[in-house]
Amino acid sequence: MIVRISGGHVVDPLSGRNETGDVWIEDGKIVAPPQGQSADAEYDARNCLVMAGAIDIHSHIAGANVATARLMLPEAHAAYMARPAQTQLAAAGWTAEETGRRYARMGFTTVVEPAVSPHLALHAHLELSDIPIIDKAVLAVLGNDDYLLSALRKGEGATAVADYVALTLQATRALGVKCINAGGAMAFKENVRAFSLDDVVPQYGLTSRQIMEALQDAAVKLKLAHPLHLHMNNLGLPGNVETAIATIDAARGLPLHLAHLQFYAYGKEGGRAFSSAAAQLAEKVNASPHVTVDIGQVMFSDTVTISLDVLRQFTGLKTARPRKGFIYDGDINSAGVVPYSYKRSDFFNAVQWACGLELFLLIDDPWRVFFTTDHPNGAPFTVYPEIFALLTSRDRRAEWLASLPKGVAETTTLGSIRREYTFEELAIMTRAAPAKLLGMRDRGSLAAGATADVAVYGLHKDRAKMFAAARYLFKDGALVVRNGEIVHAPYGRTFRATPGFDRAIERRLDRYYTSLYGLKRDLFSVPDFALPRPQAFGEVPCLA
Amino acid sequence: MPRKAKSSARKSAAAPKAAAPIDIDAACKLAATLLSAARLPVIAGMGADVAGARAAIRLARATHGVYDHLASAEIMAELEPLRRARRFATTPDEARVRADCLLFVGAGLVQRWPEIGARLAVGAPPALQRGRARKIVWLGGDRADVKGLGAEVDALAAARRDMGPLIGMIRARAMGRPIKAEKSALRRIDSLAETFKAAHFGVAISSAAALDPLALEQLAGLVEDLNATTRFSSLLLGPRANGAGVTQAGAWVAGFPPRTGFCSGEAEHDPWRFDARRLIESGEADAALWIDAYGDEPPPWTRKVPLVTLTCGDFGGGLVHVRAGRPGVDHDCVEMAIETGVLTPRAASAPSAAPRVDAIIERIMAHLPGSCA
Ligand SMILES: [Zn+2]
Repeated sequence: MIVRISGGHVVDPLSGRNETGDVWIEDGKIVAPPQGQSADAEYDARNCLVMAGAIDIHSHIAGANVATARLMLPEAHAAYMARPAQTQLAAAGWTAEETGRRYARMGFTTVVEPAVSPHLALHAHLELSDIPIIDKAVLAVLGNDDYLLSALRKGEGATAVADYVALTLQATRALGVKCINAGGAMAFKENVRAFSLDDVVPQYGLTSRQIMEALQDAAVKLKLAHPLHLHMNNLGLPGNVETAIATIDAARGLPLHLAHLQFYAYGKEGGRAFSSAAAQLAEKVNASPHVTVDIGQVMFSDTVTISLDVLRQFTGLKTARPRKGFIYDGDINSAGVVPYSYKRSDFFNAVQWACGLELFLLIDDPWRVFFTTDHPNGAPFTVYPEIFALLTSRDRRAEWLASLPKGVAETTTLGSIRREYTFEELAIMTRAAPAKLLGMRDRGSLAAGATADVAVYGLHKDRAKMFAAARYLFKDGALVVRNGEIVHAPYGRTFRATPGFDRAIERRLDRYYTSLYGLKRDLFSVPDFALPRPQAFGEVPCLA
Repeated sequence: MPRKAKSSARKSAAAPKAAAPIDIDAACKLAATLLSAARLPVIAGMGADVAGARAAIRLARATHGVYDHLASAEIMAELEPLRRARRFATTPDEARVRADCLLFVGAGLVQRWPEIGARLAVGAPPALQRGRARKIVWLGGDRADVKGLGAEVDALAAARRDMGPLIGMIRARAMGRPIKAEKSALRRIDSLAETFKAAHFGVAISSAAALDPLALEQLAGLVEDLNATTRFSSLLLGPRANGAGVTQAGAWVAGFPPRTGFCSGEAEHDPWRFDARRLIESGEADAALWIDAYGDEPPPWTRKVPLVTLTCGDFGGGLVHVRAGRPGVDHDCVEMAIETGVLTPRAASAPSAAPRVDAIIERIMAHLPGSCA
């Protein structure tokens, strides 16, 4: 079956295309225009933008904490309590099936669930396997686990840590490793209420910095395509820009991905001791080529925060909107689920909104800044089209800025920024760069040989309308969306990395589980028999 | 083996006349006919593994019906503190290795989980609390359970109906508020409050079956309050028949726990309106599929409706019965395991050919009108 998408404005940074032309698909792959053959199906893309399918590197779409959020907030949906007709969380769908369909509608074809605690990996994979259309991946979270911290305390070397990380990736079927407030959840179990980069985890004598370095080294040693994905200390606190800058230095020039940077771009200037320090942080990122970041843009909405940063979530109980919450002290990581409402009329929320956009616009290299709202923490993923509109229009930003509380404009540089993202920059940030960052070399591009994930958007001067609903979306070469409606909903694959390791770690860890927990380790595994579509896994190669 | 139920179920045009065993495909076909002919069918019981729960919810959606679980009252009671206030939770692993204070609350916990003492290593100090001993308190426990736990227990007897007020009084004293009580009772309550406040990492262990909903909310409140100055969490043992696992599957398949209906095509959750028993007793629902692959529990209603049953025993009270395999025994499964507190793979302990709930439901769905099968 040969498909031709004809006459569109094709933007593909990897192959250097930015021109009116065709894209050809055969057997699920992009192909060069076939000589002397005609298309079996042709799609008219005149007056359309044609790009690869979009990739979201950080969105909390599955697993036990997402389930808790759903169960905590029935009022956000068609349920038994009085409620507004359409809440923002309802717009995000809130089931596995709707997650896949609503991402696809916006032209997304790959999404990473970034916070899977190893003992909850099966839960996450069960849910992911029920998400249709898109491809998926998970990151396994370490850095608050007794096994790792004990090994570091005993001074076990980098190889032992790397073996443990590799085994964890195998057991959890993960694409990469993430670390969330390294040591912070363990310290909270010891009743510590604040934890920064150089604070020490009680009983283990290790700093957050040391734990982060060990995991960063392991990712490098294992040649994982995706570097350590770090959720830093002090999320959300005034003045935490200092922590972010110190953490970038702590990376020692090695690759490091910083998650939802917006939540760390805060100074403490002004009458309310809360200000944007985004310009300062963007400058630091610009000067640190080893670092990549995603933003975690805040948009004004009623949402829920889902995070393994239990320390932060415990503090957040005080400002929960509505006043409820869930705090979980888990085996290997902890977690918290706390509802929150970002209000346009709230000075602090408005500064957060501005910080995110400043970072997007002041970080020069679109290959190192990634598009996220940290769904649903900054806002549900369904607000993405509005953010695309803000990035591509300074007039739109000015309108928003004018509607914010007094004093907000003075605390940020946003009003002075003239930059508008081009389609090419959007294509880098949401397609080419994420494919590279995740090591998914088969996608993010329209070059011959790439997986035929292709998004076609009708050009419209209102970019929010344009990006809300794809004219066409092809997944693995099959048409799945037409005029914003799902026409076909196959199940995609879940991608993982499988670095090699010394198998002695398996026996060691087996003994650890039996002696500490009195349980067999395989109770926490993800066996084929447990999954409805066990064959639906793909592999991401390690670096050469 | 699928067979026609022996009982004198209400005669229905769709029921086969012979009492002879019918094959599974005929049983599934009949089930499909009954459910699709109904104005409002309920998929009830739902004692099933995760795969069975996913299938049951899809069947409810396909028939514009309702799904409910046999232990929904407990499921709702456990969810209530989460929906109204704040809840702190932990795992059996953490209770075992970290808790220097284990607070058991209520009766029936050992019956629910006979291995609880061994699994939580109650007789040993917590492995990850270097040098700290373990203190064990039991409020309102069965005498035999307390004695048989295998550790020294500071027990306070209390009737079930007194548990809410008792926990409320401890909570008040822990927060330094006055209460009205006799001198000796006050001393006892104060000393308990001090014990909990002095814990480094305490874990309260209970269940929605062991406590009334109000007492369960009081317990959640006590645990939350203690976190003002120390660390405390809770471990709920979860409803029987994989109630917690079914709830999790509901969260991702439909967005809601049991007691959810698809009358309009979209999922709607209402714990009162979509209570299977109420729907059948009131006559609103006019056909039912009852599932209990973990046991042979009968449906809780008395009114006769066209009924298909799917249990791991020989239950016969409906028009058609299919004997299902028991998850984790006859076949591999995923369920909320009480010993891990997470969705857990469980290999079959005595593999057999008895059909899985999801496989049976898939066959029923294949016979629904409009299905391509
Ligand atoms: Zn996140």
